Amino acid sequence: MKNEGKKAVWSEYQKEIADDKFFYVRSCIRQNFFPGSEVAFLRILKEVLGKDVYEHPCHTTCSGIGYHGDIVPFETAMTVVARQFALMTEAGYENYVPSCITSFGLYTEILDTWHHFPEVEKKIRKNLKEATGREFEAPKNLAHASDVIFKFRKEIAAKAKYKLINKNTGEPLRVVDHIGCHYAKMFPSKGVGGAEYPYVLAGMIEEWGGQVIDYPERRHCCGFGFRQYLVQANRGFSVACSKEKFESMQPFKPDMIITNCPGCPMFLDRWQYVINEIEGKQYGQNGEGIPVFTYEEVAGLVLGFDPWDLGLQMHQTDCEPVLDKIGIEYSPEDKYKLNSLNHSQPKHLVVNV
Amino acid sequence: MGKHVVVIGAGVAGMEAAGRLSRNGLEVTLLEKESVAGGHINDWFRLFPDRRDSNEVREYLINLSSDPKIQLKTGASVDKLTRHGSSYLLTTDAGENINADAVVVATGFSLFRSSRKEEYGYGIYENVISSADLEKLFISGEIVISSGKAPQRIGIVHCVGSRDEKVGNLYCSKLCCVTAVKQAIEIKEHLPDSEVFCFYMDMRMGGALYEELYREAQEKWGVNFIRGKVSEASETIDGKIVVKVEDTLAGRPLKMDIDMLVLMAGMEMSEGGSKLAATSGLKTGENRFFASADHHFGSNISNLEGVFFAGTCIAPMNVTETISHARAAVTEVMEYFSNNNR
Amino acid sequence: MDNLFDKLMEDIRFEEGLNACMNCGVCTAICPAAEFYSYDPRKIVDIVQSRNNELIEDLLKSEQIWYCGECMSCKTRCPRGNAPGLIIMALRGLSQDLGYFTESEKGRQQLAIKRTIGESILNTGYCVYIDGISPEFHPEQGPTWEWVHENRVDLIERLGGNYKGDGPGILRKIPQETLDELKKIFEVTGGLERYEKIESYSKKKAAEMNLDFDEGIDNEYFSHIYKTNNGSHTR
Ligand code: SF4
Ligand code: SF4
Ligand code: SF4
Repeated sequence: MKNEGKKAVWSEYQKEIADDKFFYVRSCIRQNFFPGSEVAFLRILKEVLGKDVYEHPCHTTCSGIGYHGDIVPFETAMTVVARQFALMTEAGYENYVPSCITSFGLYTEILDTWHHFPEVEKKIRKNLKEATGREFEAPKNLAHASDVIFKFRKEIAAKAKYKLINKNTGEPLRVVDHIGCHYAKMFPSKGVGGAEYPYVLAGMIEEWGGQVIDYPERRHCCGFGFRQYLVQANRGFSVACSKEKFESMQPFKPDMIITNCPGCPMFLDRWQYVINEIEGKQYGQNGEGIPVFTYEEVAGLVLGFDPWDLGLQMHQTDCEPVLDKIGIEYSPEDKYKLNSLNHSQPKHLVVNV
Repeated sequence: MGKHVVVIGAGVAGMEAAGRLSRNGLEVTLLEKESVAGGHINDWFRLFPDRRDSNEVREYLINLSSDPKIQLKTGASVDKLTRHGSSYLLTTDAGENINADAVVVATGFSLFRSSRKEEYGYGIYENVISSADLEKLFISGEIVISSGKAPQRIGIVHCVGSRDEKVGNLYCSKLCCVTAVKQAIEIKEHLPDSEVFCFYMDMRMGGALYEELYREAQEKWGVNFIRGKVSEASETIDGKIVVKVEDTLAGRPLKMDIDMLVLMAGMEMSEGGSKLAATSGLKTGENRFFASADHHFGSNISNLEGVFFAGTCIAPMNVTETISHARAAVTEVMEYFSNNNR
Repeated sequence: MDNLFDKLMEDIRFEEGLNACMNCGVCTAICPAAEFYSYDPRKIVDIVQSRNNELIEDLLKSEQIWYCGECMSCKTRCPRGNAPGLIIMALRGLSQDLGYFTESEKGRQQLAIKRTIGESILNTGYCVYIDGISPEFHPEQGPTWEWVHENRVDLIERLGGNYKGDGPGILRKIPQETLDELKKIFEVTGGLERYEKIESYSKKKAAEMNLDFDEGIDNEYFSHIYKTNNGSHTR
C-alpha cells in the first residue's frame, strides 16, 4: 500500500466545513443506541472548543429511515426536511450539522435535487407553507457531525490526554474506519476525501496517533440495508454483510473499529455477539471481540472523558481491551452504575460473576 | 522562396507529416516538447496486431524525418499561435518566435492517468499497473510483482478511462481492446503457466487482423475473457488484488484474488493539445480532442485556414491510421499552397 | 392499462437515476445485496429501459425489487451515471401505489415497516424510540440491550439525556404541536395516502391468505410478514 497515492486522492476532495455557529440536529438511532456520543459531541464543541451550537427542541426525525424503508414518499421527506431548515432559519443559524449519516445523505440528495429541479424546491416551499405556515432558507453550509470533529481534529489532539497508541509496545493502535454508505457514496464530492478513500475518520485516527487499516472489504456496507434489518425475516442479509467485513479485516489484526454512521457501530458491535453465539467465533485478539466506537467516543477517550460518561457500557462487545491498551484510567466497578438505588447489571455478567 | 511549415509534435503523425512535406520540397520545422522525437512509440515494446518490434517503426520514422529540409527542435512546446496576414506566428515556451506559412498540428494523445479511476487503486496498491507500465516490464524482459516473484494470476481491465461518464470520457479509445489481447498473449509467452483474465464489456476488434489475434489468444494461449466491467480493486494483507466484477453472461458477481492487475488506460486529448486549443482558437469537440471541419471528408481541416490536423489529436487511431492520416494532412497542405499561389 | 414506464418517469429519482445502461455489471459486482440474494440490479435496469410494460409489471410484483439495501454503492460507480438504487426506490414507490407489493413475500413486509417505523414517526417524532425497541423483537441486540432497555430511565439520565422531558436533549418528548405539524406535512404531501394504501392493500391480501388482520403488531398477518422467509431468496 502506497500512502502517497491515497494522499493525492484525498487532496482532490477538499470540503468546506463551517467553523462556528452550528445548528445541531440529532439522530433517532443514535439517541437510542449511542446517547453518550451526542452528549460528547456537544461537550467537545461547547466546552472544549468554545463553539456556539444550537439545538431546537422542536426538531424531529428527518424521516430518512422511513424514506429508505420506502414507506415515506420523497415529497414527504423533502417537506419534513424543509421544516427542519425552517427551524434553523427561524433560530438565525446557517450551518446545519446533522448527527446522522442517513440524514446527511438525505439532505445532500434533497439539495442536489433542488439544484437540478428548481420547480421541485418551489413545490416543497408551497407544501411547507401550507402544512405549517413556515418558510426557510437552505443551509449555507451542510456538514456531518463527523466533518466537524474532523475539522477540529488538531485542536482535539492538542488537548488530548491519551493517544491511540499501545502503551506497552509504543506502537500505534491499528484502527479500522467504517464510513456510513450515505456519507459519500451518493455524492463523493460532499465527503472529506471522496467516496473511495474517505479521509474523515482516517484523518482523526492519524492525528490522534493511530494507524489506519485498509482491508479488502473496507467499503462494504455494514448490512443495515434499512428493510434488510428492520424486518426480522431479512436479518440474515444484515449479519452476512458484517461477517464479510470481519473476515476480511481479521488478518490485519485490528485493535478497534471506528464509525461515523448511526447504524454501523450498532451492527458491527451486535453482529459480533451474534456470530459468537452461533459459531463461537471471535474476530479480535485473545479470544475477544473487536471493540467498536463512534468517532465522538474516540474523541472523548482521547480527551480523557470517563468511558462510562461516554456510554461505552452500552456496547455489547466490550471496549475494555482498547482502554487497557491505551492505558486509560477507568473504574471497572462503575461500569454499570446508574444511581444509588439501581444496581442492576446485564444478564451475562450476573451469570458469570 | 520555399514555403515553410511548422509541425507541432514529433510522434508518429508529426514525423510522418514532416517527412512527407520535405519530400514535397517544403521547409519544415518539427517541434517536440520531449527531449527526443518518437512520442508514445518510444515506450512500447511490440505493436499489435503482428507484434512487430516497435523499433522498426521508429527507425522508419526517424529515417523519413532525417532530411536537411527538416529542422527538429526538441524540448519545445508551443505557447501561442497567432495569424499574421497569410502566415502564422508561433511562440514557443522558450520565447522563440517562428513564422509558418502553414501549420500541422500533431499533438497526439495522452494516456489516461489511471489514478483518476480511484476505485482501481493505481498508485496506491502495489500490484496495480497500467498498460504502459506493462510495456516497460516487457522491455526489461522480466514480469514481476512487488514481492519480486512472477505473477500467477493476472487480470486485465478494459476501458479504464474510456466509455465512462464518471471520468468525463464517453468515447471508446478503440485500441485498448486489441492492446489487452496483445499484452495477454505476451504475458502468456513470458509466463506460460500463468492464468490471464481479460475483463471486457465489448471486444472491439475492428481492425485488420484484430479478430484473428483475439481468436489466437483464446485458442492458442487460453486467455480467459470475462464479460463485465471491473467495479473495484482492493489489496489483501499479502499484496494480492481482490477484483469485484460481474460475469454478466452468467449473471453472477465474482470476487477474484489475483496477483497483478493491468489497467488498459484510454486515450485522451494531450495536455499540449489542450493548451494549444486554449491559446490558438482551434476548436475542440465534445470529447476534448480537436474538432475537424468534417468527419468524413475534412478530418484534417481545422477551423483556422492553413492549420491542419494529423493523427490522434482528433481521435484515437492506431499507427496505421495515424500514418495515413498524416499523409492526408500533407495532401491538404500541398493543395492549400497551390490554391493560394494561384 | 397505464404505461408503467411513463408512471415511473413521474418520479424524479427515476429521471435522475436512469440514463442508458450498457449492461456492464459494475453495479451488480459491487452490490452487497447481489452477493447475498439471487438478485442482479443490472437486470432490473435493463428491464426498465426495455420499456416493456409486461416485464415492468412482473417486476413490480416480484421479490426482485425488495432485495436492495439502498446503500447506493452502485451510484458511486456506474459508468453511465445511473443509480440502480434510485431506480429501485421509484419501482418500490409505484409497486405500493398500485398494490402490487402484496404479490411478493418481501413486498408484503412494507406493512411491517409502516406499522413500526412509519407509525413511530407520526406518534413520537422519532423513527424509532427506545420504548419500542423491545429485546423480545430484537434478540440480536444481546443481553446488554436487555439491561439498557430495562433501565432506560436511569441510564439515559446518568448519561445526560432528557428522556421524555421538555426542551431539547436526547430522547426528549417532542411537543404535540410539532407532531401535529408532521402529520399535516404527511397529509399535504401524500405520506398519509401512502400509509393508507399500504394498509388497505395489505388488508385485502390478508383476507386472501386467510390470515387475521388487525391494527398494531400483535396479529397473525403482521407476525407472518415480519417473520416469514421461505428460504428461496438467496444465491
Ligand atoms: S477499445 Fe475496448 S477497452 Fe478500449 S475503450 Fe473501447 S471497448 Fe474499452
Ligand atoms: S453499472 Fe450502470 S451501465 Fe453498468 S449495468 Fe449497472 S446500471 Fe447498467
Ligand atoms: S443501492 Fe441497492 S442495488 Fe445499489 S448497490 Fe446498494 S443494495 Fe445494490
